[in-house]
Order: sequence, then C-alpha cells, then structure tokens
Amino acid sequence: MEIRSYTDYLRALDDAALISMFNHRPDLVTPVPPDMASLAVRASSAPSLARAVDALNKWQLQVLEVCAILPEPFSEKDVAALTEKSALFVIPGLIERGLLYTDKDGLRTPTTLKEVLGNEIAGLGPASMSKLKLKKLDEVPAPSKKVLDAMVWGPPRGAIADIKKPSVGVQWLLEEGFLIPFNQQTVVLPREVAIYLRGNTVHRELETSQPSVTGSKRDMRNVQLAAIANITTFLRWTEEVLNFWAQEPATALRSGGLGVRDLKELSLHLGVDESCTAFVAEVAYLSGLLTIDPDDKILPTHQFDIWLTQNASVKWQLLASAWLSTSRVSGLVGKEGSKNVAPLGPELDRSSATTTRRLTLTLLQENSQIAVDIDSLFAAATWLAPAKRAGGLQKDYILWAMREAEWLGITGQGVLSSYGADFLTGGDSTSVDTDLPKAVDHILIQSDNTAIAPGPLEHEVAQELALIADVESRGGATVFRFSEGSIRRGLDHGRTGEEITKFLAKTSKTPMPQPLEYLIADVAKKHGKLRVGNTASFIRCEDSALITQILGDKRLDVLGLRKIAPEVLICGHDATEAMNILRSCGYLPAAEDSRGLLLSGPRIQRAQTKARPPRIIGEFERPDEIQIEGALRALRTGEKSSRKQSTMRNIATEALGSLPRSTANETLELLSDYLQNQPTKSLSIGYADNNGLVSHRIIDPLKLSAGSLVARDHATGEVQTFRIARITGVAAL
Amino acid sequence: MTDGPLIVQSDKTLLLDVDHVLSTECRRAIAPFAELERSPEHIHTYRLTNLGLWNARAAGHDAELVIDTLIKYSRYAVPHSLLVDVAETMSRYGRLRLEADPVHGLILVTTDTGVLEEVIRAKKIAPLLGVRIDKETIAVHPSQRGQIKQSLLRLGWPAEDFAGYVDGQAHDIALKQDGWKIRQYQEHAAEGFWHGGSGVVVLPCGAGKTIVGAAAMAHAKATTLILVTNTIAARQWREELLKRTTLLDEEIGEYSGAKKEIRPVTIATYQVMTKKKNGVYAHLDLFDTHDWGLIIYDEVHLLPAPIFRFTADIQSRRRLGLTATLVREDGMEGEVFSLIGPKRFDVPWKEIEAQGYIAPAECIEVRVNLTEAERLSYATAEPEERYRFCATTRTKRNVVEELVAHHAGEQVLVIGQYIDQLDDLSETLGVPLIKGDTPQKERERLYAAFRTGEVTCLVVSKVANFSVDLPEATIAIQVSGAFGSRQEEAQRLGRILRPKADGRGAKFYSVVSRDTIDQDFAQNRQRFLAEQGYSYRIIDADDVFQGKF
Repeated sequence: MEIRSYTDYLRALDDAALISMFNHRPDLVTPVPPDMASLAVRASSAPSLARAVDALNKWQLQVLEVCAILPEPFSEKDVAALTEKSALFVIPGLIERGLLYTDKDGLRTPTTLKEVLGNEIAGLGPASMSKLKLKKLDEVPAPSKKVLDAMVWGPPRGAIADIKKPSVGVQWLLEEGFLIPFNQQTVVLPREVAIYLRGNTVHRELETSQPSVTGSKRDMRNVQLAAIANITTFLRWTEEVLNFWAQEPATALRSGGLGVRDLKELSLHLGVDESCTAFVAEVAYLSGLLTIDPDDKILPTHQFDIWLTQNASVKWQLLASAWLSTSRVSGLVGKEGSKNVAPLGPELDRSSATTTRRLTLTLLQENSQIAVDIDSLFAAATWLAPAKRAGGLQKDYILWAMREAEWLGITGQGVLSSYGADFLTGGDSTSVDTDLPKAVDHILIQSDNTAIAPGPLEHEVAQELALIADVESRGGATVFRFSEGSIRRGLDHGRTGEEITKFLAKTSKTPMPQPLEYLIADVAKKHGKLRVGNTASFIRCEDSALITQILGDKRLDVLGLRKIAPEVLICGHDATEAMNILRSCGYLPAAEDSRGLLLSGPRIQRAQTKARPPRIIGEFERPDEIQIEGALRALRTGEKSSRKQSTMRNIATEALGSLPRSTANETLELLSDYLQNQPTKSLSIGYADNNGLVSHRIIDPLKLSAGSLVARDHATGEVQTFRIARITGVAAL
Repeated sequence: MTDGPLIVQSDKTLLLDVDHVLSTECRRAIAPFAELERSPEHIHTYRLTNLGLWNARAAGHDAELVIDTLIKYSRYAVPHSLLVDVAETMSRYGRLRLEADPVHGLILVTTDTGVLEEVIRAKKIAPLLGVRIDKETIAVHPSQRGQIKQSLLRLGWPAEDFAGYVDGQAHDIALKQDGWKIRQYQEHAAEGFWHGGSGVVVLPCGAGKTIVGAAAMAHAKATTLILVTNTIAARQWREELLKRTTLLDEEIGEYSGAKKEIRPVTIATYQVMTKKKNGVYAHLDLFDTHDWGLIIYDEVHLLPAPIFRFTADIQSRRRLGLTATLVREDGMEGEVFSLIGPKRFDVPWKEIEAQGYIAPAECIEVRVNLTEAERLSYATAEPEERYRFCATTRTKRNVVEELVAHHAGEQVLVIGQYIDQLDDLSETLGVPLIKGDTPQKERERLYAAFRTGEVTCLVVSKVANFSVDLPEATIAIQVSGAFGSRQEEAQRLGRILRPKADGRGAKFYSVVSRDTIDQDFAQNRQRFLAEQGYSYRIIDADDVFQGKF
C-alpha cells in the first residue's frame, strides 16, 4: 500500500466524512493525533483496524473479505460479482469506517487489513502468478477432481508425500498450474482456481441478514413477578454478604481475591451455589460497597451504610450499573479449567466482557416478548459480532450475562422485565419501589420459640429482631428463632430483658408464649452477673489502707483511678505512665505482667480506606460530538504546523548536507513506499545506537513489522533488524 | 402478588398460614410433594426435599403440577431458581428403572445411557452390579435391591422400582367393623401406604396406628410379620387384631422371649430379633424363612441397627412403618425412609385433636427451686453426674406429692428415668412401681388394674414409654427423662392422649429443676411437641403448693 495515498485520501476527506469515521472508530481520536499523517498511520495500524473489523457484522465482514482478496484497485462491480448486488449497500459503510478507500483508479484496502483478516482469507490461497486456463477445470480427470474437491473450501494447502513423485491427480494439476508447489511436501491451490470452483463466489453462504432470535412466549405478569422476586432476593443477598463480612471479615489471598474456603462458607451462609455467591460478592465490590483494606481484610465500606438507607430502586440501580459497565467476568470463578480464578481477585478482567454483555442485553431488548432460546441468541450475536479477536464470541460469556441478568432481576424467567428495560434505557427504576411487596411491621410468635415475619420487614424492626433472634429461613418471609444465645446477644447490645419483651409484645400480632417470656427473663437474670472491662493498667496492693491512701491522694487525680475491689484500683493510663506518676509522688510501685484481658462483644467493622473499585478495561467510550469536533480542529492545526516544520528542516538539511532527517511518520511513509514499489535504488538512513550516536547506513528494506525494519545493510552485507524509533531519518539515494 | 396462604422461601421451606381461608385446600395440594416439618399454632412449615419430590413423581405427580401449585397458592413471587431446581430434581427421577427380568432376575434399565455410565462408575454401586447386558441394561444382584436403591438415591439418581413385590403366602384377612368404624384418616393412611407399596405412616400417639396396620393387612390379605417393641405391646396388638379383624386366636402367633410361635400372623419383638446366640443373630432368619406378604414395623423410630441392615435385604416384601415421632437424636430418620420406604402419611397432631380422636392436652412445666445446699452440691458435681443430680432432687418429690394429691380420683402416671428416684416416689406416694425387672405377669396385672380403676396411680420407668395402652390415664407427671430426647417426651405425652369417655382433657406435668442443666434438656425435649403446636405453660413450684394452677 502506498501510505501516502491513504494519507492523501484522508487529507482530501471533508469534515463530515472524518466525523463519521471517528464516530465509528473512537480510538482514532483517543488521544488526538498531531497531524493527518499520524492519523493515517494509526488508522492503518493493525490494532485499530482489528477494532474496526470487530465492530462489523457478518455480512459486512464477508464483503470486506471479498474486497481483501480482490487485486487492487478494484471496483464495486468486482465485489458484487463475487457476492451479490446488495453488497453495494455495504461498501459505503466500509469506506465510511476507513476500511476501504478510493483513489483515482478505484477502491483499495489498507494493506495491514489483510494481516488483520488472517493469512488465508475465507480459506483462499495466494493469487496465481501466471495466467490460468480456468476453462480446463470443467474437464478435470477424476483423480485430480478428488484433490480439488478436498481443497476447494480451504484450507488451501495440501500435504503430499513428495513433490518430486506426485500422484497422478496432483501431477496433472501441477502441470496445468492449478496447484502451486509450496515446499517439498506442500502444494497450494491458487486463489483464482478456488474461486472458479466455488462457482465464482467466495463464501459458501452469504449471510446477508441477522438470524432471527427465537424463544417461547411468557406471560408478562409472571415475568414481572419473577423479576421483582429476583430483585428482592439480590438486594437481600448483597446485604447478607456484607453483614456477614462485617461480623467476620474474610482475608484476601496473597495473590488477591477471595479464597475457596471463604467462598464456600459464604455460599453456605447464603444458601446458593458458589458461582452465584461469587457474583454477589463481585457486584458489591464493583459498586464500592466492599473493599479490600491494606491489611487484606475484605470489609464493607461506609458506602454500604449509606446504601442501606436508600430506596430499593436506588440500591438496585447502583448494583446493576456497576455490573453493566464492568469488564470483570465473575462467571470465570469455579469454571472448569480455570480453578485458580478467585472472586475479587485480579484475574477476572476480560476485554470483551463489556461488549458481549451489551450485545446480549441489546438482543434481549430487541426480543423483549419472549424467553429467548440461547442457541438462537448466540447465532444472532455471532452474526452481529463475528470477528472477535480472542477466539471469537464466547458462548459462555453470553450464558453468564443471561444468568447474571436473571439474578439481578433485569430479566424474569429469561424475559426482559420492565425494570430491566427502564434501566437499560437510562430511566429511573422507581417502579421497583412500588412493585416490591409491602413491608410488614409485625411478626407472629409461636410456641416453638420461632417468630415469623410474613413479608419483608420494615428496616428498623428487622434490625432489632436480628439482634435478639437468629434467622432460620429467608425469602419472602423470614423465620426467626429465639434461643438463649440470641437473647444474650440482644442483652450484649444493651437491651434489657424488659425492653426485649416489650418490643416483642408490641411487634407480635399473636400473644407472646409464656415459655419465651421465661426464656428472656432467665437469660436476663443471669446476664451481666460477671463484669468484664478494659483498662489500661491496674494497681494492686494487699494493704487496703494504702489503696485508700492512693485513692485519696490529690496529686494522683490525673490517673483517673477507680476502685473495683478493696485491694484493686484500675487506671486509665498505661502501666509505665502510671508507675512514673506514682514514683514522682513518692510511692514505690513494681510492674506486674498482665494477661488475659478479654474484649467483649463482636464489633462490626468498616474499612478505613476509600473504596477502590477495580478499573474497567475494554472498549473506548464513544466521544460526543463536541469532543470529536475538537479533535478534528486540533488535527487540522497540527497538520499545518507539521508541514511547516518539515519544510524548514529539509531546507536546513540541504544546507548542512548531513544525515537524513525525517519525522517518524515520514520515515514510515518512505519505508512503506519503498517496500510497496520495490525500486532498485537503496535508502540512506541515520540510525542511533545504544549510546545515542547516530551512524549513517545504506540499506535495502525487506520487511516492516512490529516497530522494526528488516533490511540488508550494505556495509556488512547482512540482513539486520532496525528499530524504527531509532531511525533518525530516511532519504532515497 | 396474590393473597395466597403460602410463602415459598428461597431455602425451599414453605410457610403455610393456617388461619388463611385457603389453608386446608393448600395443605392438601402440597401434601403429596412437601414434607411437614413443624406445625405450631399459626404458621406450619413444610419443606421441599429431593426425596419428597421424587416420591411425588413416583405417585404420578409431575413437576408442572408442583410448580403450578406453588405459584397458585404463593403469596409472593416464587423464586425462579427454586422452580428450576424443582423441575430439574424431578426430572432426575425415572431415568433409571429396576425391573424384574426372566433371565437375569433383577436388572437396572436406563433411558439415558449417560446416567447409567455415571452410576456404574460410582464406587459404592459397582460391587452391587452384575453383567452388562447391553448399552442400556445391566444386571443387579437380586439380594442387593435395597442397597442399590439406597446408593442410587445418595448419588441423586433415584431408581424407579418396577420389580414389584412378592405377594407372599395368601391368607384371608378382613376388617370386622361391628360396632366401630375405621376413621377417615386411618383409611387414607392405609390406602396411601398400599398405593405406595412400602412406606411409613406417621400418626400421633393414641390415634389408632394399630388399626392402620390392620387395614393394611386387610389390603394385603397375606401372611404378616409384625415387629413390636416389647411383649406388652405384642399382647396389645394381638387383642386389637382379634377385636378388629376376622383373624382368629389360633391364627396369631407370638414370637418373643417367652414363646416362639410362628403362625400366619406373627408378632415378634425387636428384642428377640436382635438377640445374639454365639455371636450370631439367631432369630433374624424369621424374616426370610417364611413367605411373608407384609412386614409391619411398630414404633419404627426405635428400629435397632441389626434390623436396619437386614431390612435392606428384604426389599421385595412390602413394608409398613408406624410411628408417632419420627425424630431420632441420632439423625437416622433418613435411613428409615430409605429402607422402609418414604413417608406416606403425616398429619399434624392438633388436627387429629380438633377432630376429637385424641384428647386435648395441656402441657405444664413446673419449675422447682433447688435449695441452697442442693445448689452447691450441684455446682460441684462431676459433669456426667450433673443431670442425674438435678433431675432427682428431693424438692421434686414434694411437688409430685402435691400434684398427685391435687389430682386424687383421676388416673395418674408418674414417669421417670432413674430407678432410685422412682423407688423413692413409689414409697412416698404408696403406689405400685413398674420398672425393668418387674415380671411380665406383674406388669400385666398392674396395667389391668389401672385400666379398671382399681389402681389410680402408677409410678413407671421408661418401660412404659411406648406402646402401653392405658386409655383412661389423664394425668402424667414426668420427673426425669433420657436427657434431651424429643421423642421420649412426645411418647410420654402420648400415654394420656387416648380420648376419654367423658371428653376430659389430659394434663402433662414436667417437673424441672430451675437454673440447671435439667432446664436446658427440658427445652430440647419440648421442641417436638412445641413444633406440633403444644404450648407449654410454666408455673412455679410455689404455685403448686398454693394450689394456684
């Protein structure tokens, strides 16, 4: 390819065309390139082209493949001849994306595009060097026909025993030029032959339209019900997970993330399988409700406290949005073959995750009346995004996206719910609040020491009950069980037996069973007989008179002494300090080792650091119009100034007659130009060595790849690799 | 959201609001697939278990019906994952079938070769299998029918058993309904059992389980082996069968320590069956040497381990388990279900009470304060002696005395665990005592005297926990028990649940030492009954002395 011609083509484009190109390929203006030459280099670079190709649908891709195998320049008619008429409608789109461009002779493709599309595009081999008599193919001898049949749809390479002793069929084909020897054991079917045999077409089937998504009808009422159940459940799970870790924070693995055992424990607590548990934890992590603090403890953040007070719809939206935009794939946890992937760990990022998820949701949106059949959804998705780089579109990702959407309540029974639809179109989700089952403010206490809340409990009542009873079963309703341990917990939190009884009597719709009253009274009676506290130090003396004296000593008021037994004082200062003060007042204390101080009551903990949700990798955000226009302005300005610069430099160079100087883009242009046209003349370059000394080399470029130039150096006569970045300039000799 | 009576929880429990207008209808609808777990006053708890769902499949209910029922009665949206799970679980049933085969005896057939491949590779299954017949069939050793069913169940691929039951030697038995009529629930229970083939019927004490057994025999019309807990129970069964069926005296045999009769209907005790002679179970072949058409296990929750093992080998015979309290502190309930068969019938105690077939009962826990001296010696007692100490304190004796005096003229049972305590009580109260070493004749005499009202108060040890029919007993006073055993408490209450001639209610006193381990055990003991809706009232010993209760 002549980069120059592609650059010229871009230069000649009007603003509207450039804007539409940037719209399709946002990476071209992120960051804004300095001038048109840079833009051309970027637009024709392999990564950018691959991105652009990824965004094509199957039909566009097929047309592009046909373009790529046609000898350049070609015309629209050539393309249509190998496909069908409707390809003509596709070509403008490809031009718009900069995947095709026009020059005076016709259509061309950027050369790197062929690399991006693969070595053997559509299973076709290289074009034949000689003119072939394709008519002869109509009367192929039987043995040769067999060979051709095997190779016609690719791969175009065939293994044979020995090129010197070919079989009869191969022999004939080689003679006629219908096969080209590649090496000792391989022959290749030339492109023209394959196309001719394929019936003057390239693809077996032209997939001009998206396969339809099929599925079964669902009653929308049930869908809504199922979705609201899913939403309620998901919110509950999230709260459960965070409360669980608030009581007993898990410790992150050294390699990051949650350990298998912790995950199992959590999954047992939630009563759902591990993949679902991992998902709930991940979403909480993504939403900033959960973080891994510097001590590697997995803890809820302050954000969680705020979240708890919010409306269900707001709570849900936060979780759902975090999920929608993340590039992390929690489905990988526990997947066979990826045993070591831990939730909350660093290995969950996948660049195609977001796009695949969006694609899935878009298809769900388009087919919002049916519970889609996963195979048909996959077929449609594959048509829409046929050329994913990393091994194509992952069916697993789609399955997981569907599964996760269901867990989140974006779908119900596999159909997009109205909540999901509102959410995806950016609406608020207040309908969630109105459709959730009404909160109840009462419980039913039964004589087997259980209490049942026959619906979702009001927040305050639920919190209070959680203090004094253990949850036995969750769901639409909650079953609580009172036990000695649970009542004690309530007392530990500062409730008195009377308060508990009063609260239960007020909250319960049924009379309080007598055994429960007794249970509470019994525990309350025993509770607190033993007292435990923290103190910084203690002062002990067998002489209680001395203790009284110390207590009465005005100078020791600073110590804040308190007598807890006739012979024991406790002190708010630590032992060293207390001793110093005592000594300064003329007492003669001796230090004593203290052990066995107990901490009372479980403490709910919060991370002391800010939430650091994991970053999102993946596709570029599409810039808005203002940004694009800004980019374009910058580009046009840069273009003007860079021309001026290079003209100035050339004048200076000529005057000095020193080493060639050119900008990086010019260097590339010149080199590509050289490779394209293979002139007989050699090139002169300036090349910097490791120490920055620039030497002058005369070279014949051979190949340009991955930032390096392979060329024959005249001085040594050897083939050498030159780093492009180190080439200070190029000039033709 | 509808206003149904049922709340489906995500942990697969179903909460049924019994005060709801649709509750009875709903109960009937969910009974075939959900297991009743607790039935206190307001909300009953059912649970969806794999076993329950598979039993429903076996009884011809499909997943769609289960799901429809759940959705129909549910108050809130049913979690979708639960529905999917139900459908998936139920679809596992029937992929494997056990069938009788003329050549190979017993074969395992599949409709899904993948499943068969999976199970024949399982370590526990492989030794039970014979030769592979074709891709879908494999032979099974006929003697391993029970074993393989059990193992497959554990693997999650329950086999549908089409191999059928042996008919046994035919023997004509019919119910003789002269002057009495079989109750509706008894008939349902017997029919539920018969259609299911084998299984367990759970009915409250005093609700007439013997009649269910008799009705089952009338269905089978074949020779029957009945296993009971002790000789007294054996005699009671015999009398009941003579009264309720067409069986004649010489058709019923007793196989116990005393007698070894084998007749068309033979009643054997667990004790004799598990008796070892020179290290082998000498009597276990009673199961095998006769062609029984039906085997009935009375009080199946007490099934001893050797019989467990043996039962696995007789899967081709029909088995009926009868119990009031299928709770075992050793957690072996599951084994009972897989060996005898699934639960075929279960009904809340309070429902039978409402129908008037068992007496309404009041449960009262009397709390006794230890004296200061007792407190001290309790605190210093060895841990293993503690329960015994607090359960047998002398203060309890005074309370019992007072209670017995209060209920003078009524039929009173005083029940306890520790013989010293019972001896002491018997002496203080001046009433006869029945314990383990009381001769059989003496026991029968005393029971008979108690029934006729000649004796109004009896002190009994744990020998009277089960299967002792004392219709007119209205008051039971429990002074000590086997630690926290839930079923013992229920069984003891069961002794006084026979409906009284004058419709009087029964009273169950449990005397407990305050602030001791006795109180903790009492709480556990009461759980089963509390879950059946019996609400305990707690009173103080002082109230008893002041007559305020």
